[in-house]
Amino acid sequence: MLQLHDLSVEFDEGFQLKHINWQIQQHQHWLITGANGAGKSALAAVLAGYGEILAGSTSSLPTRIGWVSFEAQAQLIQAELKKDDADILDVISLGTPVREIIFTEEIDPVIAGDLIQKFELDYLLERAFRKLSTGESRKVMLIRALSCHADLLILDEPFDGLDQASHTMLQNHLAHVVTHTQVVMVLNRFDEIPDFISHVAYMEDGQLRHQVKREDTQAFNELYQLLHLKTTHLTVPDADADHKRPTLNPLEPLVKLSNICIKHTDMVLIENLNWCIQANQHWQLSGPNGSGKTALLSLITGDHPQCYTNDIFVFGFQRGNGESIWQIKQHIGYVSTALQWEYRVGTSLANVIISGFYDSIGLYSKSTDQQKHIAQKWLALLGMEGRGDQPFNKLSYGDQRLLLIARAMVKHPPLLILDEPCLGLDDINRQLVLALIEKVCAANETSVIYVNHHAKDRIAGIDHYLALEKSADNS
Amino acid sequence: MSNNYFNTLPLREQLEQLAKCRFMHMNEFTEGVDALKGKKMVIIGCGAQGLNQGLNLRDSGLDVSYTLRQSAITEKRQSFKNASENGFTVGTYEELIPKADIVLNLTPDKQHSPVVAAVMPLMKQGACLSYSHGFNIVEEGMKIREDLTVIMVAPKCPGSEVRAEYVRGFGVPTLIAVHEDNDPQGHGLALAKAYAVGTGGHKAGVLMSSFIAEVKSDLMGEQTILCGMLQTGSLLCFDKMIDKGMDAGYASKLIQYGWETITEALKYGGVTNMLDRLSNPAKIKAFDLSEELKVIMRPLYNKHQDDIINGTFSSTMMADWANDDVNLLGWRAATGETAFEKTPAGDMEISEQEYFDHGILMVAMVKAGVELAFETMTAAGIIADSAYYESLHETPLIANTIARKKLYEMNATISDTAEYGCYLYNHACLPLLADFMKGIDTDVIGRGLASDDNGVDNARLIEVNAALRDHPVEAIGATLRGHMADMKKIV
Repeated sequence: MLQLHDLSVEFDEGFQLKHINWQIQQHQHWLITGANGAGKSALAAVLAGYGEILAGSTSSLPTRIGWVSFEAQAQLIQAELKKDDADILDVISLGTPVREIIFTEEIDPVIAGDLIQKFELDYLLERAFRKLSTGESRKVMLIRALSCHADLLILDEPFDGLDQASHTMLQNHLAHVVTHTQVVMVLNRFDEIPDFISHVAYMEDGQLRHQVKREDTQAFNELYQLLHLKTTHLTVPDADADHKRPTLNPLEPLVKLSNICIKHTDMVLIENLNWCIQANQHWQLSGPNGSGKTALLSLITGDHPQCYTNDIFVFGFQRGNGESIWQIKQHIGYVSTALQWEYRVGTSLANVIISGFYDSIGLYSKSTDQQKHIAQKWLALLGMEGRGDQPFNKLSYGDQRLLLIARAMVKHPPLLILDEPCLGLDDINRQLVLALIEKVCAANETSVIYVNHHAKDRIAGIDHYLALEKSADNS
Repeated sequence: MSNNYFNTLPLREQLEQLAKCRFMHMNEFTEGVDALKGKKMVIIGCGAQGLNQGLNLRDSGLDVSYTLRQSAITEKRQSFKNASENGFTVGTYEELIPKADIVLNLTPDKQHSPVVAAVMPLMKQGACLSYSHGFNIVEEGMKIREDLTVIMVAPKCPGSEVRAEYVRGFGVPTLIAVHEDNDPQGHGLALAKAYAVGTGGHKAGVLMSSFIAEVKSDLMGEQTILCGMLQTGSLLCFDKMIDKGMDAGYASKLIQYGWETITEALKYGGVTNMLDRLSNPAKIKAFDLSEELKVIMRPLYNKHQDDIINGTFSSTMMADWANDDVNLLGWRAATGETAFEKTPAGDMEISEQEYFDHGILMVAMVKAGVELAFETMTAAGIIADSAYYESLHETPLIANTIARKKLYEMNATISDTAEYGCYLYNHACLPLLADFMKGIDTDVIGRGLASDDNGVDNARLIEVNAALRDHPVEAIGATLRGHMADMKKIV
């Protein structure tokens, strides 16, 4: 069993892998994935014996390795170029021909010959290796790795630069190879993941963050979405141009709460609170349980009955003057655990997103083609493409939360209220949610009010803070 | 003493009023709440309907306050707390009624006469008085001052649902009507529509009806299929299972949750779908049982409808009101003492399908009750749309209350009027079905048919399926559920 035990490794560029604990059993085929710069290739290189071990240990590293990677390819090309430089004779070097590069002593000529045919490289055998195109030299690397009877094949982005025919050929060939050779593959695109992969390792910041079994479908899907969010250049889909709401006066604050008092029976929850939220400010609201965070927010959303007994100015309305709550809600996107509890409807994923245009729980209006199109874009953004018709109530808790965040953002509201959006989410889903929120903050057309307990869940871009305290007679 | 309004009308008008019911189109509500904008709405009573309708109306931008009797305010009764803790202005009749443009009477039926008598003299010239049930006007013959507009807006769901659906951005099906004798300015319909919009009802569907059609169909539905049949059925089915030596906890659970489960199928696809949930032999069995039940119970349904139409029911009940509710309270206590009511549901697992398979008789009872109520109402001149809403449509709502806390919860949730009618029905129906029940065994209630052979005769199955699908309640049901499904996507 191949084992990395609390291993920290440093590479030339100063990049470090930290505290890696990893076991690879025989007959397992792993995929290493993660965003750019997360340490995927570095982890694979450790298996090939590269890097300077700072701490920890390895055991049972394989002796004969077939390694395909951009780095290995670069090394080989570098070496070839050096040969050229080293030529002190005034003769133009022809470089090492491909045939010599492939047929070294550790190579099985039968397998290599077969692969040369399959990759249609015959006509290149006499050409200088350094003159090959990237795709061609990649094929040479693959043939070497696959023909050396390796104990372990490390395939770091093996499909990069391959044309479609070669890609398919390689997939088919690998399906055969894995019956007798262990494979560790590095990919940053999940959609290329071959069927034989049994385990996935997810890297982030030089650490091995998640290890997931392929058969654990739910964890696998979540990892897929996380990777998708981290690696795709996220563009928040446009709002629906046909779904207009009144423009707000830019000179007025979005929300102005004056001398707020919230009382329950004989208990005072909040007293004499003032809060003014200007457009494009991002706020973090914190406070212990029972300090009235949610009650305060529901004064803004119009869900608290005492919003009619307080001095509240929201989106151009002084509350209690004949406005309806729907005129208020059209300016707000809202996510909370309570909303998720209330959102117990058998509607489809696409309809949940579209319901954000109407501020409803469930969809009761006929949606337009434009809105359906926008919903599809959001689903794609969340890594749930093609799942628009699935029922919402069958989704995992974390997926539901993501969808409700999309619902809150779909209309690009001036104010987005996220009341403990990460509550009850596991690590993967928390990172997903935070990644999504950061995208919104950065887009800068929505003011965010973010409520949380965890200092860890800080959001880049938040610059204003309001901390509630538990009132004295509320203990 | 009261003077039954319906009985003062000539037959021609009686029939015309009974036949009023029309499903309104969404585009009839484009003016929203405009007709009520800036008007002072004062609600009398702050129970579940009063509070929740008021919350919705206020959130729709309308000016709502509550008026309660002085004693309720001084003693800080629950109704006072409900209103004041939600930030509403609360005042006495004298303080608030004279300023009101529209007075919403949301008190229980029983209080209507004294309440209306007290507020009417205080109401300003040309104001509007709104009811959510027409009993006071139709059965008690209350005469309203000629300058006042009288309308009815009746959400067809419990108050808590009225609020919950509004908050979701939807509403509950609502019935509206204008009392034609009291529409001096001709704006009764505009006010009723705006009120329905204010509670969110227009999103779920609004039925335009008449005070008379509402009262006569509502009374009929609630005392027969909705509450009466479920109560009688619960008691008979439970006693039969115990009699046959079945576990009491299982019997209790099968019934308590069984009504809700089987009528859920009714809600989605009518009687046909409810029966389609059974195996073929069980379906034929349920069909045969229900045919038998319909023959036995038809005279009882006719009697209830006749007594409702001619006013016998309401005068009997009002006599009990005058007698301190002796009958109502006695029957309520007796229901609490029944074996079904006193046996807690067991903690065994019963699958959704098992409720159908082991509850064939319950399915037969629901089918018989729905069809009889519908047939009797339409025969009395009530239009099919009304009859559908007051029978099939509301059955699952009542069944839900039994699932919560058995008959106690059902009778506590429904109005005193419905409860009174329910007991009347139950007392007549129990002895009526005594002989029928002698022939019943656990194959149709409690254990299900022996499952070794699911074979049926083709011709018989075709006959049964055709009979189910051809019943008139299925045709109107399919149409109305279609309207609803266009709007309502909630499960």
